[in-house]
Amino acid sequence: MLEIQDLHASIDDKDILRGVSLTVKPGEIHAIMGPNGSGKSTLASIIAGRDDYEIKGGDILFEGESILEMAPEERAHAGLFLAFQYPVEIPGVSNLYFLRAAFNETRKARGEQELDSLKFMNLAKEKASLLGLDTSFFQRGVNEGFSGGEKKRNEIFQMAVLEPKFAVLDETDSGLDIDALKAVADGVNALRSADRGFLVITHYQRLLNYIVPDFVHILMDGKIVKSGGKELALELEANGYAPLEAELAGAR
Amino acid sequence: MNGTLEKLDAALAGIQFDPELFPALRDKREKAFQVHQGLGIPTTKHEEWKYTSLRDLSEAYFVAAGPKQVSAEQLASTGYPGWECVQIVFVNGHYCEELSSPLQEQAGVEIRNLCCATKDPDPVFMDHFGSLIQPQKNTFAALNTVTFTCGAYIRIHKNVKAQKPVHIVNLSVPDYNDAVGYNAVRHLIIAEEGSEALVVESYLSIGEGKTLSNAAAEIFVAPNAQLEHVKIQRENIDAYHIANTEVRQERDSTFKTYGVTFGGKLTRNDLNVFLNGSNLHSRMDGIVVLSGQQHADNHTQLDHAFPHCDSFEVYKHVLRDKSRAVFNGKIYVHQDAQKTDAKQTNQTLLLSPDAAIDTKPQLEIFADDVKCTHGATVGYLDQAPLFYLQARGIPKEKAEAMMVYAFAADILERISDHKLVEGLEALLYEKLD
Repeated sequence: MLEIQDLHASIDDKDILRGVSLTVKPGEIHAIMGPNGSGKSTLASIIAGRDDYEIKGGDILFEGESILEMAPEERAHAGLFLAFQYPVEIPGVSNLYFLRAAFNETRKARGEQELDSLKFMNLAKEKASLLGLDTSFFQRGVNEGFSGGEKKRNEIFQMAVLEPKFAVLDETDSGLDIDALKAVADGVNALRSADRGFLVITHYQRLLNYIVPDFVHILMDGKIVKSGGKELALELEANGYAPLEAELAGAR
Repeated sequence: MNGTLEKLDAALAGIQFDPELFPALRDKREKAFQVHQGLGIPTTKHEEWKYTSLRDLSEAYFVAAGPKQVSAEQLASTGYPGWECVQIVFVNGHYCEELSSPLQEQAGVEIRNLCCATKDPDPVFMDHFGSLIQPQKNTFAALNTVTFTCGAYIRIHKNVKAQKPVHIVNLSVPDYNDAVGYNAVRHLIIAEEGSEALVVESYLSIGEGKTLSNAAAEIFVAPNAQLEHVKIQRENIDAYHIANTEVRQERDSTFKTYGVTFGGKLTRNDLNVFLNGSNLHSRMDGIVVLSGQQHADNHTQLDHAFPHCDSFEVYKHVLRDKSRAVFNGKIYVHQDAQKTDAKQTNQTLLLSPDAAIDTKPQLEIFADDVKCTHGATVGYLDQAPLFYLQARGIPKEKAEAMMVYAFAADILERISDHKLVEGLEALLYEKLD
């Protein structure tokens, strides 16, 4: 459902992605791991439509269509979702108002019936209770004054409400304690289904104990250097990136 | 002095001075008349008027605006739906009994019009009136003292909590063809020791046409009193509005004032608060939303004269099209005002390349153990939150509108009265649409 084809991208003339190819089929969870600066977050941002990057080559297809020319909101309407590494605080716009606008804009774009505020409130409450969230944050500003863990949980809550076809989780586990991590993983696992795909970007193998991936890819220096099953993450955890780096250096 | 502005001066001087109007205030008014003659109208060479030119008015012909008929329906259509208040209404500076609430409605809260209050003035009135507004400091304050036709006298008695907000409604009704209808209201607000109230001044137009309202208010906040004050400028797109507000706050008191400027062609507010005691709290927030060729200038001043006081000031501007704004925020910390905590923030969103602001923080600190900060930001919308909203499916234009609204509504939401906030938010929404 998501097909990244030989993607090259740069920012300020600095090459970040140097030919990334990856295919995720419906129902699959792919994890991307890699050291700092390897291009993981750049990849997530480009999928979501951030325009700070220059695409030098390649393509991204979602359900067979290229998304590179689509605005971020159009990608969301098509069913893509990015859980941000750094969710933004927007004081003055309440979480509930924001999410209802997002939900209804997506419905409108698809020619579906919009939900009035009462019906939407019920939907939001239902999703919040599934995630074990207290609804008191509904009326607060988007992510305003939230702790790191609360922000990440809010991303998962938004995902649960918007029910995207495909979600990219950008380091959603970073900085979380075990309980928060479990809550985030439970939220993701609850959404796992045969027709939904996930791309989980992480720095730590720990997350993959809770969200078990079908495939693990290692991104280094803008390229996927190794792919495998979930055991690859354990291998990486045990040995670090150094052996891989040495291997790559030797191959050059 | 600039020749064309001399003409403006002459035209304004033509507004009749009737020494017999308020016999009890005759001395004060005559003094102001003498002072005004010598001051003249400021040009942009004047430091305090550097960025606000009155040149547009120099060719104008002024007429003293008379009391006009305004229906209850017309007034209701301008209001804040569902907001309960006691209102005192002035039309072109003249008291309008039919539209005003029965004025003895609230126990312990005295609301009178100046015409009535000066006929049989009590000593409290006489002690306070004219003791803050100093004609020699400001030509429009002087002119107001000379030419005001009426205004509100509000006295919240000792230890009384006003049950309803007091709303001073100032209507400009233009109907003078090409001439500019001039009106001047003068308000006196006294919150006595231990009292508590919300007083709102609204300036509105009924109909189209040119007006100049030259308003002035003196506000006294006695020890331990808590006064919240809102001044709302919603006059029409041809209206000139000049307002001088002088406040004196005593020890242990809290004063919060919110300036809301949506309307008017040219608005100039001078707001000075003198912190005349220790352990008092002062808040001064403002929101200015302009479009077209509107111009608004807010000059604020906080005088910290005693120790252990804090003042927080946030002024926000949203400027579209070719609108212009000026913000000048003075904070004086006198030598005795140790342990002062003063923070001033000015944030401006420029939504068009032709919009502009001149912002000038001015801190003068003579005490050595104080915390004083100021910051001014001017810019376009932040890209990160925009992208966040878009990535969730909200189209760019709508995302921008949400952010601008949120930026501005932040100030309105500080006002304690929720119904009033709702009304103001509806107006903000309309203004940004």
